[in-house]
Amino acid sequence: MTHKTIKATVNGEVYERTIPVCMTLAEFLREELGLTGTKIGCNEGECGACTVIISGKPMNSCLVLAVEADGAEVLTIEGVSQGEKLHPLQQAFLDAGAIQCGFCTPGMVLTAKALIEENPNPTEAEVRKGIEGNICRCTGYNRIIDAIMNEAERVRGDK
Amino acid sequence: MSIYPIGECLPRKDGRAKVTGKSKFGADWNVTGQLYAAVLHSPHGHAKILSVDVSEAKKLPGVRAVLCGACCEVLYGHMLVDQPIFAVNKVRYYGEPVAAVAADDLRTAKEAVRLIKVEYEPLPLVDSIDDALSKKAMVHDDLMAYQALGGVSPVAGTNIVDTYTLKHGDIDEGFKQADVVVENEFYCAMGQHTPLETHVAIADADEHGCHVYTPAQSPFMIRGVLAKAFGYRVDRVRVTCTEIGGGFGCKVEARLEPIAIALSRAARKPVKIENDRGEEFESALCRGPVRFRMKTGATKDGKLVAQHMLIHWDTGAYTTFGPRINFNAGFGANGPYHIPNAFVDSYVVMTNKTLATAYRGFGITEVACAHETQMEALAEKLGMDSLEFRLKNVLRDGMESVTGEIVTSMGGAECLEKAAEGIGWKDKPRRWVTEDGKLRGKGLACYMKLTGTPSTTSAMLRVNDDGTVTLLEGSRELGQGVETALPQIAASVLGMNPERILMSPVDTAFTPYDKTTTASRSTFHGGNAVMLAAKEIIEKLKPLVAKKWKVDLASIVFKDGVFTSKNNNTLTLHMDDIGKSGIMKEEPPVLATGTYGTKALWDAPDKYHQSKRPAAFWMIGAQAAEVEIDPKTGTTKIIRMGAAHDVGKAINPDSCRQQIEGSLVMGVGNAIMEEMIYQDGVLVNGNLVDYKIPTSMDADFEMNIALVEKPDPEGPHGVKGIGEPGLAPTAPSIINAISAACEHRFTTMPVKPEDVLFRGE
Ligand code: FES
Ligand code: FES
Repeated sequence: MTHKTIKATVNGEVYERTIPVCMTLAEFLREELGLTGTKIGCNEGECGACTVIISGKPMNSCLVLAVEADGAEVLTIEGVSQGEKLHPLQQAFLDAGAIQCGFCTPGMVLTAKALIEENPNPTEAEVRKGIEGNICRCTGYNRIIDAIMNEAERVRGDK
Repeated sequence: MSIYPIGECLPRKDGRAKVTGKSKFGADWNVTGQLYAAVLHSPHGHAKILSVDVSEAKKLPGVRAVLCGACCEVLYGHMLVDQPIFAVNKVRYYGEPVAAVAADDLRTAKEAVRLIKVEYEPLPLVDSIDDALSKKAMVHDDLMAYQALGGVSPVAGTNIVDTYTLKHGDIDEGFKQADVVVENEFYCAMGQHTPLETHVAIADADEHGCHVYTPAQSPFMIRGVLAKAFGYRVDRVRVTCTEIGGGFGCKVEARLEPIAIALSRAARKPVKIENDRGEEFESALCRGPVRFRMKTGATKDGKLVAQHMLIHWDTGAYTTFGPRINFNAGFGANGPYHIPNAFVDSYVVMTNKTLATAYRGFGITEVACAHETQMEALAEKLGMDSLEFRLKNVLRDGMESVTGEIVTSMGGAECLEKAAEGIGWKDKPRRWVTEDGKLRGKGLACYMKLTGTPSTTSAMLRVNDDGTVTLLEGSRELGQGVETALPQIAASVLGMNPERILMSPVDTAFTPYDKTTTASRSTFHGGNAVMLAAKEIIEKLKPLVAKKWKVDLASIVFKDGVFTSKNNNTLTLHMDDIGKSGIMKEEPPVLATGTYGTKALWDAPDKYHQSKRPAAFWMIGAQAAEVEIDPKTGTTKIIRMGAAHDVGKAINPDSCRQQIEGSLVMGVGNAIMEEMIYQDGVLVNGNLVDYKIPTSMDADFEMNIALVEKPDPEGPHGVKGIGEPGLAPTAPSIINAISAACEHRFTTMPVKPEDVLFRGE
């Protein structure tokens, strides 16, 4: 098996690891770095549970090879909260009751974070479309959408 | 009047860990020294195994154990002990485990699996209910040869593994009184729970005992099954529960645990095994197909007089909980109606398909499809509004149900009214065409479901040094909020801040026994046990308070969280200050248990399933749907849904609403999208692209939810259950609305665009 050494910044920390070239970023995060907040629901790009933010863009980490993250900045759910304090977006998820089993939550939060950063003034339809690739079997989605709309409103300073 | 914090929408206790990624689900656990397992699955639906050659696989460096049916003849099962860990002599469904490898890493395990050579000789396929009934082939040579653990009644020489008969009144006489009779068929296709987290297990086992880590819904049931299968003493099977990333019934049964244990014993090391999504579809568990033949009669003024239901459940290749579905759904098969003459004739058949189990309601969605399409058909024939027709027949307090019980605490009528109101039922015609040529229709459905009875649970409360309280009870947090609701119930008795009560993780090594987290039973059963334990805590604290105050024990009074003394009204101590007060210092620890069971209130049903009290409580509810059909594409859009459920008492109303919201969207999947498709015994859509479950785009409709509260006298604070009920009437109400819009009676679940386009052809 071919190996390669990569250097990636994950949640602000630099990691240098020698890994098999076929390793996905999701595996790298979970197994090499022990960051198990990134979930695997399908491992084939169909559910969004593994979403992380790579250099500002939300990506399914099960479809990205770890070697592609060489030199990149990766944000996972573990890096979203600010120390002990929850990120307001996380608080918005809690406040809206947007969590049931919680398996989709990390991926949802990262998708939402990227969405708001790209467009702090989304319509409900845009938010709905924006999380289309993130499957949630529990909540029925509407509270997740509410959470994202509320957070966007806060970011804009309307609230 | 409510008691704090009952009826409060407190935030969920597991929320913070879940939103920060700290919650540890099944796959997030690892055990030092663990090996990784991969499984070889059957490529055939039904085939003889001529040979299995594992020699090459064994030679691969890093492989520590290889097992197949020939070297591991363990059978297991929850009701009938008929399931091998690895297929023995023949395979009975596509995806059935044939062999497995444990290796140092997953890649090696998978590579080794590819080196296993199996020769098969295909056998005739039992592909449908009719195949099973006609004995086209036998899925099992002799069902009677297996050990039956109760609640299952196989029929010798057939593919029928269970039968159920409910007889109430005189069905023939009943039909004689009928002015109108409708006869229909309804078929529910095979579907899957599809939790976002797949099955996973880690086992560390030897011949002496085992320790399993698993996202189990029913750890104590799984403990029992594993102990029996491997000949362990029950106390030597330890099940440590991980967080569960969605269950909906599919994490009730032992699935990967037996494989992990067998491999761990062979390799003498811990073994981790995880389903990928494809394996989850083909070899985890599903909602089995079911066919109904219904005949219902009413008088011309709209009173139901007789209903006959012939039901065939297809449970797949092994028995699993199929008979339990047959039993539970049999009681609810006539719906929440007063029908003087009813007959249910129901069978569970075996086919060469993956295994069916409980799916959020133990068959109640399916029977609701059957009786609710009948109600719609009858109302139409009678020229009555279907809401009015249902209201005329719905069970009300004091009436006799088809199980022979005089029912009480029935919120059915109110649920129907409120659900209908949720879509503006009374102001809308049954169907209409919009300006842009779309077809709109409205539909209604209700259901009635029992909780599994008898069943038991137990709880323990421990007061910690600082006065916080730790609650131990075996109900699993599946997202339904039990970890928040049970502390709320404890707080209601202890009069303390619910913030200061936390539920422990569940582990059969130290959690007191609980039967299962299914059947929407946890708040009711767990809540009763918790209340008893909490009352005992108060009694145990009283002497400590008396001692501290140097007053007579008899003078201590406890009310609303405050201890006082009748002798001295300057003395008060609030439960939240127990820790600070020092009364527990160097005293024997304060802990208490509460145990609860429903056997005493249960009246064992007779052979026709008549009983004065077949269930600890009933759940009842209704939903209404307004849909829009695009006649060009056949697609259905849900416009709005009204849902009303009798929860008895909402401990946490927001949690109840969340259960219903999630159910509504899951039900949309059931109604118009989801179907597992087999061709020649092979599952052809076992992935999330081809098996579509609702996304955010499918949830874009108005939801008007009402919680009806008709307290159950036996429930803690009047509680009933709400985990499953939201799903039961969703699909039938949508299907009824589609039928209305299209002026065509659909008789399948799901109704897909092609069904709409080619209706009547
Ligand atoms: S796990 Fe990556 S999209 Fe499902
Ligand atoms: S909360 Fe369970 S999958 Fe979203």
